[in-house]
Amino acid sequence: MRSRPILSILVPALVLLHLFLHLGLGIGRGAPDLLTIALLLAARELGMGWGGGLGLFLGLMEDSFSVLAFGANTLSLTLAGILGARTRDLFVGESFLFFFSYLALGKLFRDLVHWLVAGEGVREPFLDAVLVDGTLAAVYGALVGVVVLIPFNREEMSR
Amino acid sequence: MASYSESPEEARGRRDLAVAVVFFLLSLLVLYLPGGVQSQIAATFRATLLRPFLSTQETLAQARLRAEEAGSLQARLDSLASQLAAQAPLVDENRRLLELLELRERAPADFLPASVIRPGTPGSESMFLLDAGSEQGVQVGDPVIMREGRIGLVGVVQQVRRGSAIGLDWSHPDFRASAMTADGLVYGIVEPSRGLFREDDRLLIDGIPFYETLEEGSLITTSGLGGVYPRGIPIGVVERLHDEEGGWRTSYLLRPVVETGSVRHVLVVLGEGIPEGVLDLFSSEGDGTAGSDSPDSGVPNVRPPLSSGGSP
Repeated sequence: MRSRPILSILVPALVLLHLFLHLGLGIGRGAPDLLTIALLLAARELGMGWGGGLGLFLGLMEDSFSVLAFGANTLSLTLAGILGARTRDLFVGESFLFFFSYLALGKLFRDLVHWLVAGEGVREPFLDAVLVDGTLAAVYGALVGVVVLIPFNREEMSR
Repeated sequence: MASYSESPEEARGRRDLAVAVVFFLLSLLVLYLPGGVQSQIAATFRATLLRPFLSTQETLAQARLRAEEAGSLQARLDSLASQLAAQAPLVDENRRLLELLELRERAPADFLPASVIRPGTPGSESMFLLDAGSEQGVQVGDPVIMREGRIGLVGVVQQVRRGSAIGLDWSHPDFRASAMTADGLVYGIVEPSRGLFREDDRLLIDGIPFYETLEEGSLITTSGLGGVYPRGIPIGVVERLHDEEGGWRTSYLLRPVVETGSVRHVLVVLGEGIPEGVLDLFSSEGDGTAGSDSPDSGVPNVRPPLSSGGSP
């Protein structure tokens, strides 16, 4: 996979698009979580250290609007960045199925950590927040992530 | 004998792990920072990197407002004018009674119009941003009511910066309001009640004495007790009995007057709150809007919109 274009073009574009959809247009769950997708894609290129750093930075941005669970997004995205980078040493797949599973599981993991850290008073029931909403959001985000990856990784993904 | 030395890959791996641990610890630290520091970090992000995106939503909200039908606005204005005309004798009568009783005239409340911005990010579901802040006189704890359509309680201001504020709406788990029936006979505490989905969220009025029955469709308003919300702001309408506890108290589900997702423009109630009865001026036939600026008539002051240079 061509890592430079992913880091220099795709990841910033996904972050900007996420902010435009969620903050600029105010679309909530209707828009995919492109921030997590961007982080997971970047983490595999950056490595554990800077993957965690990027997660910390993106998490702080998300937490700018979180009054009572400040830090939950920061921690969940930092962990997602670190563990996402770690998968590079464990899995070398570049197929459509691999990236779909990687992005979906990464997003689900991020939602799970956010739910755990957010605190009882703020979070919704586990069934709704993680199992139903989280799974749907993970599949949605992973699908979008795989589609935007196609131009960067056409040969490997078609195998 | 060859001495053992770390290969460059191993050294890079160790360095990478050390950096990752540092960032992980930093993210844990963020979680446990004092509230003031957290809100300072959040405000810095909102005022710098995220500002262009928030401005986009503000611009879109303003454009949507301007696109509203002139006819609808004219109808609201006419409705308000007729209300004011009908109230004029009452205001005069009230003034004479106050003079007879040697009571001081109550200061009219200040209302500040503001646009609502919804971030749409995880963890921000029950909060909203206002494009007005301490520069315009907004303070922590100021109630926020809906400006368009029927007047009702949206929430309360939680954090204030110079030009913006953050509020929590009624769907937030921490929301509580002392409430009463519109006739002021039955009192209780209103709190949010989670539905299966957010669209299914309702309000719950709890602590109603067992011998009291709330009729379906009764309006529930703030009671003014507790000092956070002024008396008389509509909160919801009784939908059905929810629970009976131990034969001594009951709770009822309410259909909220304000669907928080549809709120685009609000009025922030500044200072001492709303004088009793003033909200009646807004809520005629479900068609409320801001009134004229006339201190002598007891009509609330609605400050000019921010774009036209409103100042405290």
